[in-house]
Amino acid sequence: MEDLATATELRKLIFELTKADVTQVGPSEDLMDTLGLDSLSGLRLLALVEKKFSVRFQDEELTSLRSIEALVLAILRARSVTAGSKS
Amino acid sequence: MKIALIAMSGVRVRTEELAKLGVTLPGFVNRGKVVASLPSLGLLTVAGLTPGEHEVKYIEFDDLPPEGTPLERFDLVGISSFTARINAAYRLADRYRQMVVPVVLGGIHVSLRPDEAEAHADAIVVNGAEGAWPQLLKDFEAGQMKKRYIGATDQVFSPDLYSFPRFDLLKGRPYNRLTVQTSRGCPLNCEFCAASVRITKKFQQKPVELVINEMEAALKVAEHPFFELADDNTFVNKAWGKEFLKAVTPLKLHWFTETDISVADDEELLNLLAKSGCRQILVGLESPDPRALHGMNPNDWKARRQATYLESIRKIQSKGITVNGCFIVGLDTDTPETIKYIKDFVDESELIETQITVSTPFPGTPMWQRMKDAGRLLYSEYNDRCTLFDVNFQPVKMTVDELDQGIQWLFTNLYSEQEFLKRKRRYMDIVKNLEET
Repeated sequence: MEDLATATELRKLIFELTKADVTQVGPSEDLMDTLGLDSLSGLRLLALVEKKFSVRFQDEELTSLRSIEALVLAILRARSVTAGSKS
Repeated sequence: MKIALIAMSGVRVRTEELAKLGVTLPGFVNRGKVVASLPSLGLLTVAGLTPGEHEVKYIEFDDLPPEGTPLERFDLVGISSFTARINAAYRLADRYRQMVVPVVLGGIHVSLRPDEAEAHADAIVVNGAEGAWPQLLKDFEAGQMKKRYIGATDQVFSPDLYSFPRFDLLKGRPYNRLTVQTSRGCPLNCEFCAASVRITKKFQQKPVELVINEMEAALKVAEHPFFELADDNTFVNKAWGKEFLKAVTPLKLHWFTETDISVADDEELLNLLAKSGCRQILVGLESPDPRALHGMNPNDWKARRQATYLESIRKIQSKGITVNGCFIVGLDTDTPETIKYIKDFVDESELIETQITVSTPFPGTPMWQRMKDAGRLLYSEYNDRCTLFDVNFQPVKMTVDELDQGIQWLFTNLYSEQEFLKRKRRYMDIVKNLEET
C-alpha cells in the first residue's frame, strides 16, 4: 500500500514539474527518455522528490533513478534508513 | 533542381591517451554526445535562403561513406563543416566532383581559409550565406556560377537578407536538441575565437520577435526539444536580453546558451533568466590567472573581470542556473602549476559544469597568425587536429609533453565519476534551496 501511495504522489509531482501526461508512463519506463527530460531537468526532479518526501538519496544511486519504480523503491529505502537511524 | 546540404560532423581526438580517457569519463562523454546531436543551423539557414521551387535534402555525415560506395546524386551539393572535419568534407567534395556533381563549400573554416577550400570546390561562400547563396543559385541555373561568393557581414538579420531556417528538414531526426541563433559576433573579440565573430563586421542581434517565431517553428519538429542558442554571447545587450527572456518564458522551454560573466551584474536579468527555463549558461572564463587573460581581448575585458569570477558564479548558480565554466589550458603564461590552479579554482567556485580545452590556434585566426609568425606551430597543416583537445603548438612555459600530461590530469580529476556525482548533488542542493520549490 505504501508503495502505491508513494507512486501516486510521485506521479503528481512529475506532472507538476513537466506538465506531461504521466498516467501513460509505465512504472519501469525511463522517465528521461519518455518525457524527454534533459539531464539537469532530471536532477531537478530528483531534488524535488527528495524535498517532497523528506529523504536524501545516496549520491551513488542518482544515475540509476530513472523510472517511477526505481524512485519509489529508493524513497522507501531512504525512509527505512532514516527510521532505522532514529530508532 | 535537387540540392543536397551536407553537414560533416563527428570530431575524433587524435592523442591516443586522451581518446581513451574520453570514452570512459562520464562528464566528458555526456557533453560529447550533446555536441554530436546538434544540427547544422548554418545549413538549415542556407536551405531557408533557397527558393521554394528547388528540392532540398539536409544530410549529416558522421563518417564518410566507404570508398566505392555510390553517393546519392544531386544537381548541386553544398557542404559545410568545422575545422576538425574539414579534410573529410574536402574528400567528400572531391568524390562528388569526380561524379561531375558541382560542389559548393561554406562555413567559418572555409571563410578563414578560402584559398585552401577553393581547391576542392566549384564555388565557395565566404562569410554567412546571406547575400551570397541566392545569387549563387541564380548564377548556377544560368550556367555562370563564379568561383567565390562573398556573403554579408553586416545587417544579416535585416528583412533584405534574413531567412527563416528550415527546421522542417529535421523531422524524424533521432535527437531532441535544436539550435536557434539570436545574435552573430561578439564584441569581446578574443584572439583565439574561431566562431561567428570571424564572419561579421560587428555584433548583430536578431529582433526578439524573429527569435520567438523560429522557436515556435522548431517546436513543431521535435517532441520536448531542448534548445541551444547558437550564439557566441547572447546577453551583450541587457535590454534586449530582458525583452527576449520575457518573450521566451511563456513557451515553457528548457534551454542553454553561451554568454559572458557580466550577466551576474544585473539582478533583474538573472531573475528573468531563472524563470525563463534557462538551465545552463556556458561562460568562457578561460583562466583563473589574470596574467593569462591579459591581452586576450583588445580591451582586456576578461583580465579586468577575473576578480569577479567567484562571486559572479555563486550569484548565477544561486538562482538555479548552472554555469558551465570553460577554461583553456596552454595559454602563454601557463606553467604546469597553472593546471593544478585550475582544478583548485573549479573546486572553490563550485561550478556545476566545467569544460577544459587546450589552447588551439585555429587556422586563419589572429592567434594562428601570431603563432605562425613566431614559428610556434608544430605542423604546417593540422586541420584534423583542431579538436580542442590535441596540442598543435609549442607552449611558452612548458613542454608539449607537460601540456599533454596536464590536460590528461585535469580530465581525470575533473570528469571522474566521483566529481560527476559531486556536481549532481551540488545542483540538487541548490534547487532544493530555491524559494519556488
